[in-house]
Amino acid sequence: MNFLKISLSFCYLLWTLAGFAQLRMDSVKQLPVLEISTSRLAAFSSGNKTETLDSTLLNRYSTSNLADLLANESQVFIKSYGLGSLATTSFRGAGASHTAVLWNGFNLQSSMNGMLDLALVPANFLNDVKLQYGGAGALWGSGAVGGTIHLNNSNQFDKGISISATTSFGSFSDKQQQVSFEISKNRYVSTIQLFNHDAKNDFPFINTAQYNKPEQNQSNAELKQYGFLQENYFQITANQKLNTRFWYQYNDRNIPPSLTQNINVANQKDKTYRATTEWQRNSEKLILIARFAYFDEGLKFKDSLINENSKSRSKTAIAEAESRFSISKFDLINIGINNTYGEAEAADYLKNPSENRTALFGSYKIHSKKNTWNAVVSARQEFIKNKEIPLTSSVGIEGEFLKCFLIKGNVSKHYRLATFNDLYWIGIGAKGNPDLKPESGWAEEISLINKVHYKKIVWELSATVFNRIINNWIIWLPDQYNTWSPDNVLQVWSRGVEYKLNVNYSVREFKIQLSGLYNYILSTNEKSTTVADIAIGRQLIYTPVQNGQGSFSFSYRGTSISYTQVYTGYRYTSSDNRHYLNPYTVGNINIAQQVRLNKTKIKMFAQLNNVGQETYQVVAYRAMPLFSCQFGLTIFINQQDKKTKQ
Amino acid sequence: MKTKQLLKLGTLVLTMAFVSCKKDDPKTSEPTPVAGAYDNGVFITNEGPFGSGTGTVSFYNRSSSSVSNDIFEAKNNYPLGNIVQSMELFNGKGYIVVNNGSKVEIVDGSTFASSGVINGLSNPRYFLGIDNNKGYVSEWGASGTGAVKVVDLTTKTVTATITTGKGAEGMVKVGNTVYVACSGGFDNDSVVTVIDASSNTVITNITVGANPKNIKVDASGNIWVLCSGQWDLNYTTLVKTGKLVRINASNNTVELSIPFASTYSQPSSLVINNAKNILYYSYNGKVYSQFYTTLTLNPTATINRSFYGLGIDPTNDYFYASDAGNFSSDGKVIRYNAAGVVVDSFTVGIIPDNFCFK
Repeated sequence: MNFLKISLSFCYLLWTLAGFAQLRMDSVKQLPVLEISTSRLAAFSSGNKTETLDSTLLNRYSTSNLADLLANESQVFIKSYGLGSLATTSFRGAGASHTAVLWNGFNLQSSMNGMLDLALVPANFLNDVKLQYGGAGALWGSGAVGGTIHLNNSNQFDKGISISATTSFGSFSDKQQQVSFEISKNRYVSTIQLFNHDAKNDFPFINTAQYNKPEQNQSNAELKQYGFLQENYFQITANQKLNTRFWYQYNDRNIPPSLTQNINVANQKDKTYRATTEWQRNSEKLILIARFAYFDEGLKFKDSLINENSKSRSKTAIAEAESRFSISKFDLINIGINNTYGEAEAADYLKNPSENRTALFGSYKIHSKKNTWNAVVSARQEFIKNKEIPLTSSVGIEGEFLKCFLIKGNVSKHYRLATFNDLYWIGIGAKGNPDLKPESGWAEEISLINKVHYKKIVWELSATVFNRIINNWIIWLPDQYNTWSPDNVLQVWSRGVEYKLNVNYSVREFKIQLSGLYNYILSTNEKSTTVADIAIGRQLIYTPVQNGQGSFSFSYRGTSISYTQVYTGYRYTSSDNRHYLNPYTVGNINIAQQVRLNKTKIKMFAQLNNVGQETYQVVAYRAMPLFSCQFGLTIFINQQDKKTKQ
Repeated sequence: MKTKQLLKLGTLVLTMAFVSCKKDDPKTSEPTPVAGAYDNGVFITNEGPFGSGTGTVSFYNRSSSSVSNDIFEAKNNYPLGNIVQSMELFNGKGYIVVNNGSKVEIVDGSTFASSGVINGLSNPRYFLGIDNNKGYVSEWGASGTGAVKVVDLTTKTVTATITTGKGAEGMVKVGNTVYVACSGGFDNDSVVTVIDASSNTVITNITVGANPKNIKVDASGNIWVLCSGQWDLNYTTLVKTGKLVRINASNNTVELSIPFASTYSQPSSLVINNAKNILYYSYNGKVYSQFYTTLTLNPTATINRSFYGLGIDPTNDYFYASDAGNFSSDGKVIRYNAAGVVVDSFTVGIIPDNFCFK
């Protein structure tokens, strides 16, 4: 990792948080204690396009969920079923289960359906979000096909005691409360964050899909969620560190009807427990890391209209160990082992399924003297009893040239294992297929980044071209006896270009940022095992060919204003591409004012959504609200420790 | 140096402009149907995509051999609703049952102009006209229940509920008696509920085979019921195989019950020809016929293919068979003559299922 880059981002982070110039000096002094990233992303991903949504941005979305954050601020398409409802991703024209979501390195994708509902992840629980585009199966294993979302928590020692409390009120009876408490000592940090969120989400809309087009309020959309995240960081000795994290969350959501349904009374309750620990030992020649995670996720679904009352529960235990060392000044080697055990119970499985996966992985990185060029070769082999899993490998290279250009290239193999539902589901008219092969294929990408510092302006333009094949794509189809069953049916070819432009202008405390994104992505079915499949040559459903985003933000001292406009192009809703949804463009404004009184900082903020009053649907016949807003207040108190104060 | 950079940036921007110029506007090819053109032909109900989509109705014009798709939204400017199950013509009106939309949309039978909606239904399946003022709608309701809702056709409201066996499905009327096949719905059942249509009361429940779905009346006034059979807990074997059952309508007793041999294929889609003397059904990947006085199953198939839905045109005894393709794109209807030879085929909406002949 480029040390300068860390330092810069660290400075930037502190500067924006505090907003005071004198603090910058302190932070520079603190730099040496900053830990070297333990993530394989930082050390061993080379050539993939990455995007960082830093804490400043996350701060702006403090009362939003991860789905809203990504929909507005990234190039990832978020398929949202409505306000607070299920939201999944599509990275580079792939499907929802083709995105690995890693929380501090642990995969959160459900063993049952291969997805994570991003609407259930509160943005304020995260310190930064990194998006790694492209296949990275050699680094992260199954599911890292279209891209990988890295959700990270981090902390600093020696910050004293901090308390922060936020309350917000918004349209459609949206109420949120957040409290966090942190003790940051010399060799020990302990934090707890709590949140509570209630909303009715009963927004008005015109139901254009019903007789006489009545004006309705969204029904059965109430949401209640609460949870906490508790973290501890210990500096055991000069070269040993340990951290523990515990994340509990409860979500109780009603499921609103679509425009073409008259009524829905369904309710879904999710309860998740996630516990992790990581130990790290750094010596000059060797870094050793061991990490463990245990996830327990329960879901209850109830629909009294059809007397459905189902329960499911999945448990996952992950153990991972890796070591890092160098054999010369110009290289770095990573060797690791991962064991993931998963089991699930549900009435829809005849027998509760379980799976034990063991993976060996390794990477070799070589870099130039000044670390301006590097190349990484990685490989991973996963083992599951009685299953054939392809060896996964990747090669990536990146380097600077002509001072202001960065070029990146990556070729990688990816794969995705069939989920428990795909393998073992049993129900009326539907049946899993235990003989499914994993989906797999190759992906290639090249990025060119131009970064220019000109006086007070920083200009960064990046362009990426990618190509990806997914073979054995699993879909569910009825067999000749009309029983629905999954099979390895399709080959999907995705390719496209992605552009991003960022312009920053800053003079002292005055700062302007302009950014723009644009994607053109084709993702088409190329081959099918079913005869005369009309989907051949057609774009996958719910993968927009074009999307773009433009944003403008301005800050001066404690005041900041930002405006984001997102455009999403046509999305097909049928695989023959005869049916589609119209493009939409949604604009949001965020205004925040921060004042400082002694050791207390007070931030007032307003979030204005869909300011252009756009009527749109992300998913066919799912209503989205017109204008909505949210107002909030945060109080932050920091008491520096006298002994360690610098 | 600077010019070099500018040149490179220029190239980047240009590529971007070039790419953005490429149009991705989907083409709409649906011709706007002419109102009032629905007098001689066949309505096809297309369930529509699962989840939150809408079903549609297509119309095949016999005289011009032309097809109009999505005729409901074209005329009325709003979609039919989620999962369009079936359509019935009665007294000049079309009654379109929208299963997951929990409603019946009423249209004019020749112009397809909307003339109201019947709400207050739960998983409705089929409509049956009783008299000028009354109609029945069979519904699955919640799991483990089943009902026929009595509808006042003037006020378009549900006036009474008749509790039947579980998962009320196909209905036929003989005289003033209505026979309801109780398919089990989300559960299992094995009865045909018999209703006195004048008093809206249940006369009796006749036990037939496992999970009866389709029901037809033959030339001699007897009732034929196709029972789909019952799966074991892992849905791999039929613990009760399908059955073709004949009920004597004069005394409401089962006088013929022919079991199917297969323990993995469920018989489905029972239809009857215009003379009401030959029944047809799908079974084991093929379409078979059954003469109304024959006491055993016919081992010879009429069509060597299975379909998602099947209908028979009473004007010429042509088969209308639906192919739902990959279930996420527009399906096809294939027409066969009475001998089982392909006549032609045409594209309709997503997941075509039932036919309503006019």
